[in-house]
Amino acid sequence: METLLFNLIWLIPILTVLVCIPVPGSKTNVLKAIHTFSGTLVLALVGYLAYHLYTISGTPAHESAAPLLLRFFTDIPWLNAFNVHYIVGADGLNIFLLLLTAVIVWGGILVSYNIKGNQKVFFALIQLLATSVYGVFMSMDLVLFFVFYEMEALCMYLMIACYGSGRKDYGGKKLTLTLAFGSSMILATLFGIYFEGGVNSWSIVELSKVTLPMDFQMWAFPLLFMGFAVSSSLFPFHFWSPDGHASAPTAVSMLAAGVMMKMGAYGCLRIALFLMPEAAKIWLPYVVLLLIFNVVLGPFIALRHKDLKYITAYSSISHLGLIFLGLAALTPVGLRGASLQMISHGFLTGLFFATIGMIYERTHTRDITQMGGIMRKIPFLGVGFVIAGFAGLGLPGFSGFVAESNIFIGAFQQEDTVTRIVTILAILSITTTAVYILQTANRMLHGNMPAKYETLTDGCFREKLVVVVLVLCLLLIGIFPGWICDLLDQSIAPIFAKISQAAAPVVGG
Amino acid sequence: MYTLPNYLIPDVLLLVLPILVIGARLVCKKSSSIPWRLANLGLVATFILLNLIPLTNNSGSYFLSNWRVDDFGVLMREVFVLSAILGTWLAKDYFNHGADGKPAMMHLAEFVGTLMFATFGGFIVVSACDMLTLFLGLEMATIPMYALTAWNKKDQYGSEAATKYILMGSVATAFELFGFSYLYGFAGSIHFDQILAAVSAGTNPLLWIAILFIFCGIGFKLTLFPFYTWAPDVYEGAPSPVTAVLSVTSKATAIAFLVVLIYGPLAAIQEQVAPLIALLACVTLFVGNLGALKQSRLRRFMAYSSIAQAGYIMIALLGPEEMTKTAIVYYIFVYAVANYLAFFVFGVIGHYREESFDSLRGLSKQNTLLAVALAAAMFSLAGIPPLAGFFGKFHLFFSGASTGHYFVVAFAVLNNVLALYYYLQVIKSAWTDDAEGELSPIRMVKRQRFAIIALMVATLLLGVLPFLSNNVFTGFTF
Repeated sequence: METLLFNLIWLIPILTVLVCIPVPGSKTNVLKAIHTFSGTLVLALVGYLAYHLYTISGTPAHESAAPLLLRFFTDIPWLNAFNVHYIVGADGLNIFLLLLTAVIVWGGILVSYNIKGNQKVFFALIQLLATSVYGVFMSMDLVLFFVFYEMEALCMYLMIACYGSGRKDYGGKKLTLTLAFGSSMILATLFGIYFEGGVNSWSIVELSKVTLPMDFQMWAFPLLFMGFAVSSSLFPFHFWSPDGHASAPTAVSMLAAGVMMKMGAYGCLRIALFLMPEAAKIWLPYVVLLLIFNVVLGPFIALRHKDLKYITAYSSISHLGLIFLGLAALTPVGLRGASLQMISHGFLTGLFFATIGMIYERTHTRDITQMGGIMRKIPFLGVGFVIAGFAGLGLPGFSGFVAESNIFIGAFQQEDTVTRIVTILAILSITTTAVYILQTANRMLHGNMPAKYETLTDGCFREKLVVVVLVLCLLLIGIFPGWICDLLDQSIAPIFAKISQAAAPVVGG
Repeated sequence: MYTLPNYLIPDVLLLVLPILVIGARLVCKKSSSIPWRLANLGLVATFILLNLIPLTNNSGSYFLSNWRVDDFGVLMREVFVLSAILGTWLAKDYFNHGADGKPAMMHLAEFVGTLMFATFGGFIVVSACDMLTLFLGLEMATIPMYALTAWNKKDQYGSEAATKYILMGSVATAFELFGFSYLYGFAGSIHFDQILAAVSAGTNPLLWIAILFIFCGIGFKLTLFPFYTWAPDVYEGAPSPVTAVLSVTSKATAIAFLVVLIYGPLAAIQEQVAPLIALLACVTLFVGNLGALKQSRLRRFMAYSSIAQAGYIMIALLGPEEMTKTAIVYYIFVYAVANYLAFFVFGVIGHYREESFDSLRGLSKQNTLLAVALAAAMFSLAGIPPLAGFFGKFHLFFSGASTGHYFVVAFAVLNNVLALYYYLQVIKSAWTDDAEGELSPIRMVKRQRFAIIALMVATLLLGVLPFLSNNVFTGFTF
């Protein structure tokens, strides 16, 4: 039963789109009601499945899913011509990412009630985008994974180009093409994995049982890892994200930064690291060098920006850098921290972009120099923004603290000197993060208020609901990290086992 | 009494059909649509008959010694006929209106008849068992296209395009004949089996000269680098339905020719030819993509896009026979669907305004169906999942990668990013740019609406529905 429900997660959004086709575009209220219901339904579904997975953890998973602890496992032959199967399943990591997606999609739908333009198409695109993200976090077959992974580019471009603001075509194209560039690197490597793996299967589970030839891994790993890293804006492929986020409508920014950017990091962990651990050991120390830009320079750039979305985008770049630091540490604590950061950053950046979008709807500007003192008029949204900021700078009690401390501890356990130096730099860079977040909040919310903002009104019930739910998620992870860490540890154990079993690499081999 | 083998019925039907159509035109009134209806009925019947031929034996059934119907042949025939059906539909509207500022054309029945003869040329190519038949097939597929390109006598650009096409085409033919004669000189026979035996026994420079010339010849027809330069002008100058047929049927015929040759008489040296194919594929797709970047006219753009597509198709030829054939049939099918979808949309728009990027402005607000169809066609051509184009390209790359040509595949997929850029340009024009001034309303007849919706649904579902991609290839075993 749960397995069936699990498969419905990605189907419900598509069915919603089909249901809405006969509804005339002018009946916006009906459309909104249908989409909100669908979003809530999926959220409830994923919530139930997460709870179910938590209660059954410890019991053996489906046999064919071993060595991964996958639940809700489904394996149906799909495209026989090249042995592609429809394989989906979830362990602790996936289910949390799915939960994150469901929350963000639900929030995204709720904050988009006032979107300008053809609302029917907009909501349909949001649902298709949701389908692709759910699909990515569910699939355990490389082709299925890739199909969902690349599908998001299609929706993303149309949403940014049609409903965005500012240089929307430029931002949309930059985002889509850069992501397509990453995808093309991934696709080329996937063929290699299939043919070099020699098991005639695209299944991650099956492929994890074989060791890929070392000379193949040596060139394939960097290609695959960087391919995924493009969507998580690892330096030097970070350039799409500020422009993309800035020009996107609120819901798309939330989805892009909150969820889509995690798809890359998730791919790095679940596919690149898991299938090619030998090469990972050789290459990851070099990846750490790239992180200096992400975690150290990112906050400094954010410090100089005046546009709220650019500030948040650069803060995302630095936070995502921390995920890679956790991955590069290759220790259980580091990997756990990275996974936690994926989830935590999703909620916090979702909250960031949601509040920014709401404030922008009222002030019609994102330039912080033009704002000031608006806290008096919109205290609720202001507090939401400040909470997102606090979570971002890693204040204890919020999810960011748990995730970041795990990453730093994990990275410091790594004996490599460069990693340790970068870790120290990353810890120090939190100060910069604190500076730009406090500075932004101060300039925007306090001080003298321009007269034109006298008429501002605080968030409506719908907006407040989104903010409250996102804040609760941040607090929940921050205050009770134990239960989520337990599940994550169980899911990471097989990945770490594979890494620790990998033969000691011979550099140049 | 001698009975005709069942598998030849579609071939015979298609051979008789154009004669019937042109005959009907002579007896019916000038304005009568009976010949056109007859043509349509015949083509649909042929398509259905082709689908009834069971795909089971890989060796194929022989008729005489130089006509063979195998699985690849049957499936390619389906593509050719499908292309002909869609081509005649496009032509019907074009003859009534004369799109893109060009005068309306005359003699629809003869036009459709000629189109069917070109289609039959494709049939010959995929059935050939000796060089002479192969050559006849190729010419049969090409010569009617010359006539079709020049169909609109009142259009000076059409005549110019046709002249260019004929001149280039004859040069290509000359190259090919030269190559064939060398091949005959090498093997002492024109029959594939004997050539294969001679090639298996050993190679010499004579064979390589022959192959080089044959590749030059087919390079023209398949628009491979460096012989692609005629394509943009001819695509631009020819009447719109002819452009669509050119980009699908001609391309399919040319690629079928290569498949027949490489996995037939040259099968023994396929691996030695592979580097040449890889090089041609990479350069062609790169040049095609570069060329498409700066186009502002839709049909020139489609020409460059189809040059790039030829490059992608070539990659499949690096793989083993079964995989290559599967990949190519599937891809051509998917490509035909997406390409015709684009041309149908352009055709509808062309009735009201010029066929350029600018005239797509404001389309999404004016007619959402056309805008969605255009986006589906472009994303499919760009190979974005879950649209059929992605799975088509996946087949091609899968075939190429199966023999370890990872870098060719990597180059091709990286080029896809370049391709995506210009396909996005089209989508951008239709979806985000606002029209200047008031737009005249766009009306579609039922046939156009049906074709556009059917092709769009096919583009969306062809890749993801497993039984479509699986069952089409039950004849091919891995």
